[in-house]
Amino acid sequence: MEGHPNWRGQPIDWQGLTDVGRGGHRFVRRVASGRMSPIEVRIDGKDFAFRLTPMPKIIIDGKEIECRDKIPVLQAALEAGWDVPHYCYHPGLSVVASCRLCLMEMKMPHPQTKEMGWAPKLFPSCQTPVRDGLEVRFASDKVVENQKECMEYFLLNHPLDCPVCDQAGECYLQDYSLKFGEATSQMVEPKNKNPKKDIGSRTLLYSDRCVMCSRCVRFCDEVAGTGELGIINRGSRAEIDIFPGVPLENELQGNVVDVCPVGSLLDKDFLMDQRVWFLKSADSVCNGCATGCAIHVDHNKNQVWRLKPRFNPGVNDWWMCDEGRFDFKYVEDPNRLTRLTVRRGVEAQPADWSALDEVARLRLGGVVEQKGAGSIACMLSPFMSCEEAWLLATFVRSVDAKATLVMGPVPYEGEDRHFPVNGNGKPPKFTILKEKAPNRRGIEMILEALGGETPKLEDFLAKAGKGAYGAIWFVGGYPKAWVTKEIAAAGEKTGVTLVQDILPSKLTEGADVVIPSCAWVERSGCFVNHQGKIQPFEAAIKPPDGCHRDGNYLLQLTGESGLYNAARVRDRMSASIPAFGELHVAPEPPAHAH
Amino acid sequence: MPASDWKKTDVMNVDQPTLTTAERLYLPQIFGGFKTTLRHMFSVHVRNKKVIQYPEQRRQLRKEIYRGVHRLNRDDQGRVACVACFMCETACPAHCIHIVGEESPWQDREKYPVQFDIDELRCIYCGMCEEACPVDAIELTPEFHLVGRSREEMIFDKEKLLMVYDRTKDEKPRKNPRITGY
Repeated sequence: MEGHPNWRGQPIDWQGLTDVGRGGHRFVRRVASGRMSPIEVRIDGKDFAFRLTPMPKIIIDGKEIECRDKIPVLQAALEAGWDVPHYCYHPGLSVVASCRLCLMEMKMPHPQTKEMGWAPKLFPSCQTPVRDGLEVRFASDKVVENQKECMEYFLLNHPLDCPVCDQAGECYLQDYSLKFGEATSQMVEPKNKNPKKDIGSRTLLYSDRCVMCSRCVRFCDEVAGTGELGIINRGSRAEIDIFPGVPLENELQGNVVDVCPVGSLLDKDFLMDQRVWFLKSADSVCNGCATGCAIHVDHNKNQVWRLKPRFNPGVNDWWMCDEGRFDFKYVEDPNRLTRLTVRRGVEAQPADWSALDEVARLRLGGVVEQKGAGSIACMLSPFMSCEEAWLLATFVRSVDAKATLVMGPVPYEGEDRHFPVNGNGKPPKFTILKEKAPNRRGIEMILEALGGETPKLEDFLAKAGKGAYGAIWFVGGYPKAWVTKEIAAAGEKTGVTLVQDILPSKLTEGADVVIPSCAWVERSGCFVNHQGKIQPFEAAIKPPDGCHRDGNYLLQLTGESGLYNAARVRDRMSASIPAFGELHVAPEPPAHAH
Repeated sequence: MPASDWKKTDVMNVDQPTLTTAERLYLPQIFGGFKTTLRHMFSVHVRNKKVIQYPEQRRQLRKEIYRGVHRLNRDDQGRVACVACFMCETACPAHCIHIVGEESPWQDREKYPVQFDIDELRCIYCGMCEEACPVDAIELTPEFHLVGRSREEMIFDKEKLLMVYDRTKDEKPRKNPRITGY
């Protein structure tokens, strides 16, 4: 795996870093970003040596830039801020140099005189690796002329149906023809009209909009490893297609839509829903599994329309799985809990949110007074953010210092799936984990830091099933049904139950207090993924009417005033759990890369 | 990255600029306003020329450019000409257009609006939607008698907008757009 693109010096193997500990990670990052420059360091009593090789310097358009070693000139130029048009080059895929849009002029020694001069032919910058002293230029008449001609060529058979194309607004045919193309076409013959093809359960192919960059084909071959897509025919009749009877059905097929620089591959789920320029994007983290893919939550009019992966090296790189991408629909479930209800006597009545503080304190406090310390418990959910879990845990511990804290069930499904499939033992490029919860590690860290009574779930449920606890605060937030027989029995046997969940269940039916919770796109905070990376996410949309953001009421319960601000809570948390002082934030990819 | 550095959302307070003594008197502004009022009161010529005794008298409208109630044009097969590209919704400064697009049931067209609502009360009749439309499907008509008994009635849906077209197509025929569908 390649290193972080913002790292200076040699890319450092991410896999090799797992044994240096969290402090080690931070240190390595500082060394690598050039903020610190020792050659030998000591971490956890061990000596580590970082040999920083000198970075190659290349000259682009007369300007000298420093870049990482062993990357293409195109990548170096993009990272240095140049806007070089390109379709086929993708840093996560192999290089084919087929689009010819990124051609550059390069200085080479004359074959006879050995004198350095501009070579008469153009070179693909995506296929030319950087080396020290290389001199290239993009701002030359030859290069600009090539870009213009290429753009005209790409648009030869293009139907120009931008008004009905979903890609319009984020389409690199639009952007590049505006920046690098010509307004006119010399084509006089009628355009080829290629068919629209239904290639998979989630993907549509409009082959007349295609620029034959073959990114989708390479993605299926190299990352998914399933190789369903291929190029049929040659020359101007070339088309992307599937093999007869073998539809595009891998678990990463949503990514072929992302890698497509034009509107050729479209998402059936998002088809004709929204124009992309209406969408607002929030930086979030997927809550589908413990991988913790960085994502964009694209929303408009308080509705989430699609999820897109965000570049996050070492975690999900450029990709995300279909499960995470499409399984967010439970957010709009019509059955969602939207009313705070409190059982007074036999009947559960809707209550005002201002009453929650008093109700929770009175009911839990009453149990502690009656049955003594250690009689209340709180079941934290691995779908909570660390901040919320910490706020709730500190509240419960403030009511009863001996309260039991336990982590709710962590859902597991099948086995870890590594991609490419049949990878021949090579390190996987993408993994879908069987652990279908985003924050098991975070909750464990909090439980560990708070200490006290933190039993295993089975022991806790066995004890609670016998009615050992006077009151339990259950936290749900699971997208799928989660209340097992044991959990329901624990709820029944317990005198006072407070249930904080998003969907109704057996537990909410019998609960004394039902607190409608929020889905993760409505909350903010941080998740700790399976590698121990603490990744922050922000709220995209407002919770449905009647719900309050979990952070807000939990903050009030702890006696704080004002609105919940995840960063401020994290600051307070880091006083007792120093690990939360440092976040893993995905770096911004170069502005003109795609 | 330190935990508190990610996406800081702290509120910044900005003070209002203070008024000068002359501005705090308000008198110059008051007299300035009276000047305009008095000028209009005493110029009989302007009054007679501008005032029309509606409904006995009617204004002569330039029908090609008058910006009244919207209409949705029909194509040559009588279907709604709109391709649901959302350009008008994007251009609309009053946010009064609401479209829901879907895959069209016709072979020769890709997308069509299943819902097309214009809030005629919210509209400012600027004509931006007409300018933005790539297939000349939305147009403003010379109709200006816009009455309704409720706010809901004034939200014109697709059917109503097509009806306006049927009513006004003789008075103002559809232009012949170069592109009629996608």
